[in-house]
Amino acid sequence: MERMEAVIAGLVVIAIIVSASTLWYGVTVLSDVSKLTDSTAELTSSMVDLTEELASLAGTVGASLDTIEDVLARLRAVEATLTPTITVIGPWAGKEMDAFLPVLDRFEALYGINVKYKKYRAEELATLLPAQFAAGKTPGDVIFMWGWWIAENGEEGHVLDVTDLVDEADFLNGTFDPVKVGNTIYGGAYTGKVKPGFWYRKSFFTANGLTPPTTWAEFETLLADIAAIPGIVNPIASGDGVGWPLSDITEHFIITYGGPQLQRDLIAGTVAWTSPEVKTTVFEEKLVPLLTAGHFSDPAEWTTILKEWWDGDYGLYFMGSWITGMVDDPNDLGVFSLPGCEGLVFVADYCFIPTYTEHLDEAKELFQFLASEEAQRVQVAQGGHIATNIHVSLDEYPAVDRMVANLTTGKEVLLDLDDTIGGAFQSTFWEQLQLLWVSPGQLDAVLAAIEAVAP
Amino acid sequence: MKIRKSTIIVHIIAWSAALLWILPFLGVLMAATRPFDEILRGWWNFEDFNPSLKSFVDAWNYRDAPIGEGILNSFLVAIPSTFIPMLVASLAGYGFARFRFPIRDYLFITILLLMSIPQQMVAVPLFQIMNDLGLVNSFIGLILVHSAWGLPWIILFMRNYFSTLPVEVEEAAKVDGASDFKIFYKIALPMALPALASVAVLQFMWVWNDFFFALILIGSTDRMLATQRIPYMSGERYVPWDLLSAASILVMMVPVLIFALLQKYYIKGMIGWTIKG
Amino acid sequence: MGRNRITVKKNLPLFFSPALILIIFFVVFPALQTVYISFLSPSDEFVGFDNYADVLSRAEIVNLEGFPKWPPLGALIHNLIWIAIHLPLSMFSGLALAIILRDVKGASIVKSAIFLGMVTPMVVGGLILRFSFEERVGLVNAFFNILGFEQLTRTWTAYPETALFALIFGSVWLWTGFSMILYSAGLATIPKDYYEAAKIDGASPLRTFYRITFPLLKPITIVVISMTLLWELKIFDIVFAAFSGTRGPGGAGNVLALQMWLYAFRFSEYNSAAVVATFLTAFTLVISVWMIRYMVKR
Repeated sequence: MERMEAVIAGLVVIAIIVSASTLWYGVTVLSDVSKLTDSTAELTSSMVDLTEELASLAGTVGASLDTIEDVLARLRAVEATLTPTITVIGPWAGKEMDAFLPVLDRFEALYGINVKYKKYRAEELATLLPAQFAAGKTPGDVIFMWGWWIAENGEEGHVLDVTDLVDEADFLNGTFDPVKVGNTIYGGAYTGKVKPGFWYRKSFFTANGLTPPTTWAEFETLLADIAAIPGIVNPIASGDGVGWPLSDITEHFIITYGGPQLQRDLIAGTVAWTSPEVKTTVFEEKLVPLLTAGHFSDPAEWTTILKEWWDGDYGLYFMGSWITGMVDDPNDLGVFSLPGCEGLVFVADYCFIPTYTEHLDEAKELFQFLASEEAQRVQVAQGGHIATNIHVSLDEYPAVDRMVANLTTGKEVLLDLDDTIGGAFQSTFWEQLQLLWVSPGQLDAVLAAIEAVAP
Repeated sequence: MKIRKSTIIVHIIAWSAALLWILPFLGVLMAATRPFDEILRGWWNFEDFNPSLKSFVDAWNYRDAPIGEGILNSFLVAIPSTFIPMLVASLAGYGFARFRFPIRDYLFITILLLMSIPQQMVAVPLFQIMNDLGLVNSFIGLILVHSAWGLPWIILFMRNYFSTLPVEVEEAAKVDGASDFKIFYKIALPMALPALASVAVLQFMWVWNDFFFALILIGSTDRMLATQRIPYMSGERYVPWDLLSAASILVMMVPVLIFALLQKYYIKGMIGWTIKG
Repeated sequence: MGRNRITVKKNLPLFFSPALILIIFFVVFPALQTVYISFLSPSDEFVGFDNYADVLSRAEIVNLEGFPKWPPLGALIHNLIWIAIHLPLSMFSGLALAIILRDVKGASIVKSAIFLGMVTPMVVGGLILRFSFEERVGLVNAFFNILGFEQLTRTWTAYPETALFALIFGSVWLWTGFSMILYSAGLATIPKDYYEAAKIDGASPLRTFYRITFPLLKPITIVVISMTLLWELKIFDIVFAAFSGTRGPGGAGNVLALQMWLYAFRFSEYNSAAVVATFLTAFTLVISVWMIRYMVKR
């Protein structure tokens, strides 16, 4: 069987080489098609001759392939003994990448291990990692990915068990829940972002004599006041894109009016979405009336509507703390949580080590470094991130982020609902919320659909 | 030359169609040349108009994944991936059109069936095959995959095209003692030039625009193809629309230019209708 | 010295083996693996057609309660709607354009403009569609605003009633270039003499079209129909880019290939994904059989 494979591989490879070389010749005179036809014909007749000779060549090719294999193996062995370079994969590009690279530089300086950064979005990783893992390969040694995905793949053996490398006491409460299966931890926590509430431009509020609300009634009045301002399209901008801005808003309502424990119950699946505490208390009494009154805009692409909000077409925008890096003047930013809110969602970036890595020790070093106070300090100092490591002091943050970090004091830190459950729930949750936003009347159907895929 | 009303109408329709088709792309062009704030309320507003080609330059030279390099890589893959299946499929298509043998129709249907296989499904098995052949992260591997996947539809098209060509010329040559292969490349293939030109354009374009196979098989940043480099520029919460638009335009221009270049091979009557003559 | 038409065995390998080798290795092998998985349960037991019964009856695939109603109707139904609208529209507009452009000066510029749609990487195409149908930024919305159709000025992709149709009409715009190119090539093969003969006989342009042009284009039409059908069944990138990986509001933008991708790469239900893929292929079998029978008849 091996012989056959070698023969066929040889056949194909040689045919390709011949075609490719004749093609390069052909390409250079592409402007004249008749010459092209001739070279194609030449090519074809050479292929014909070739087919007849290949049978005898097959044996020689097989033997040469074996020799080449030997040489390659020896080269790889030599390469392995030189300075190791490990690869870390993250979803950050442009400005985000510029903020992450200093952390990697610090690592290289401290540990003498070269690190290469590769950028892949999570959707791309979702597609290509299964293929690579099935073949026992991996594109990176430390990879950032969705928390629930890490846990799932940990169960299937593709992800290294890192329980011994992590000390949960150094981190915010519950940070590792999304990447835990039972008591086994599969992922590491890096920095993250908070979703504190509704952002507004302080200048906008001052110019229109508005103040952040302290009760639900004041919130409703605020919305009505903003709606009355000329030039305003809707009081609250609804971002969309993947669905997460809508789910963030919904979770905020759940936490504020259902209580932080309700968020935890929904994640665990111990409370149904169709039950009164969710349906009536949160949706029917609070969220849906605002939707029906037209206080929320139709879902629009979130980076576009962010600009429109900044320009004054909308009053409030519910966003995560990364917004501080996206506006021209972060000092003009103000934020308030819904009155009565006692818990905030914190979403961390999780990374893992694939079991197929060829640089296990170095990967572990980087992994632990990213979780450490040192790495997170470098990251948060640049703004837009909040540390999961509790040893990072508030002084390290730039002013605006300190304000956000302060918001979390006195409030419980909660996990993002859909990010933690993931899978089919997450997709359905987002889609149903998109539907709810434009058809608030379909609340019952929406909740039923969500409950059907809930844990 | 009398200008007839029908000619005018025809011209108006044609140019309106062209305009209609191009409008959305003007939007992309606007996004690539004007600051985002200007086009926020619709790019057809020209009160603030500050165009610049900066995005194109930035995209062309983007950090570790410049579009310029991506375009080169895409050429290295797309050109062989066009010629190989064109050649191979013409052979097979001619065979299906002209030869008669017992399993012919079943074989043909099977090949057609293969056209329906969605790319996404074969990610895992394909990677394994390529890994076993040692062709992961190599252009040759990608070229082979694209060639193979292009074959079913090109075979279908060439077979149908060959069947419309009159057999008389070929039969005449056969009577004169020419071999099947000589008839193929001296008579049938030249007559199929418009078809070959269409196939070349379409196959080139499909390979050029492919994202999925490139994603699965090409891993190192310097080998990434042009289509992979476009989403590469956006991050998790960071979407540089101007760069994305500029990059998209640069990448899209290549197949369009190739198309325009090959236009002259659709000339009517290029096929020598020697029989009637 | 007549040689009979049945070819000597020696030539078959030459004409077919390169194609067959490539196809077997890189298309057939991976595909067979997929079909095999579709018959297994997640724990790798052979369960025959149980998977099919299960997957094909799910609401995300077919949801016809209360029909007639607006989407979401299930991925399969959405694909069928897509075919019903997109196939005739793109085919005939491509044909019409190919005919018109035969006699137009500067035809290649017009053709290139129309061809732009085909040339767009689908990920970009999806984004273009998304923005073209968005309330304040979109071309289509501005257009309907001028015409006064209030309903259609809202973001099409945010509402379940219009989400799918935005994509379908957008895809007609993208795909018309395909049939136009193929028909252009086909039209070039029709000898001028036929038209001259028809003119001498006094035939009107319409008659010439029905009696001469269209029948002679049948082989091309078959290719256009089959390729377009397959494209519609497999459509993924546009939908993925337009909805950023979700299935649209309430799942109203779901299509089979998207659902399949979600099964495989988001929900980790590989067997369900394989079912959808195999189902798509089987669907094609039906169509191919029809086509072959039709072609053999000539």
